[in-house]
Amino acid sequence: MRFVGFAAAGAALLVAGCGDWKSGQANSGQGNISNESRVPETANSSALTPANNMMLLAAAPPKDQALRIMHERHEAMEGLGKAMKTLHRELDSAKPDIKVVRAQTSTMAATAAKIPSLFPAGTGPDVGKTRAKPEIWKQKDLFLRRSKEYLTAARAIDAAAKAGDLKKVMALHENVDKACKACHDPFRAPEH
Amino acid sequence: MARQPVWDLPVRLFHWTLAGLILFSWWSVHNDHTDWHIWSGCAILTLLIFRLLWGFVGSSTARFSSFVRGPRAIAGYWRGKWRGIGHNPVGALSVLALLAAVAVQVGLGLFSEDEDGLYMGPLAQLVSVDASDKARGLHETWFNVILALIALHLVAILYYRARGRKLTLPMITGRADVSSGTEPMRPGKWWVALICLAIGIGVTRWIIAGAPPFGP
Repeated sequence: MRFVGFAAAGAALLVAGCGDWKSGQANSGQGNISNESRVPETANSSALTPANNMMLLAAAPPKDQALRIMHERHEAMEGLGKAMKTLHRELDSAKPDIKVVRAQTSTMAATAAKIPSLFPAGTGPDVGKTRAKPEIWKQKDLFLRRSKEYLTAARAIDAAAKAGDLKKVMALHENVDKACKACHDPFRAPEH
Repeated sequence: MARQPVWDLPVRLFHWTLAGLILFSWWSVHNDHTDWHIWSGCAILTLLIFRLLWGFVGSSTARFSSFVRGPRAIAGYWRGKWRGIGHNPVGALSVLALLAAVAVQVGLGLFSEDEDGLYMGPLAQLVSVDASDKARGLHETWFNVILALIALHLVAILYYRARGRKLTLPMITGRADVSSGTEPMRPGKWWVALICLAIGIGVTRWIIAGAPPFGP
């Protein structure tokens, strides 16, 4: 009987210990933002220019060229990751500096525009060391759609940062995170 | 020989919850649920604080003072001189190593961030991006130490099993066959356990809030 009371009280305490671990972390539910914050589509905001599509579909480049693109891709993605981390930190800090924010969002938007051209056919794991999964080329429509969604999100947050609207940047931040994860989860292999 | 209590309920709950959370932490981070992984780590932190406190004010077999022994006791155990319940002097080393290794792992996790900058450990804000990346690298490497200690733990259980001693069932039921004349377990108080748990939750929540006065 005493055990029952113990377990009940313990469970109650554990429930009390659960709450949001940090507001502003990527898991806070903000379902509505994605709709209202989409930047209207202009010819300019589309990554799926014919040239980009061609790149992804094009015949495989020779190996040395493929390896060069893969290296360039790695550097670009690492730079993108660094910008995302710096942005997250800045937005979480007590007084985010709009200049720092702007530098990151501009890197993000610029890199995002390059993504489709960084994944031509023949730059997969069969050619060299990469975490790019073969699914990228097997489901290239989905891949291109996801990369475009990321570009849209990155351009929207960059526009907000350029306008100096920190509130909007904060609101759009989760969108960017989600778009990043939406492409990585299916198309990037784990480390090691 | 008689069936007697050897492990109290808090010790058993701690043990199985920790095992479950380590498994869950591993699974969640490898299946794109880094947010759950961070939650799991925070829960493990709560457990560790609880166990540390319970090691001073818990039942006799839970207390560090009852099982952390010097080299003489350890040598004596090898010569078959140990008579008692709870962790034997050699098993105690394994317990300490496991607790310390998990504590290091949680500590590294608190300061880590994921490679995409989507998730930050509760204290990552206190250090630079580079330091945070380094912490994540160590966090990944250190897991191998934990795996090795878990493997050792399981091998030891099989070893005792082969020699006729079952260790798993007592960790579930709390009772084991104890030779007569052995000093019985002195149970702790349930409300003391709840206070320990409350302190564990309190400290964890303070860390989740971002530590010092809730932020860098």
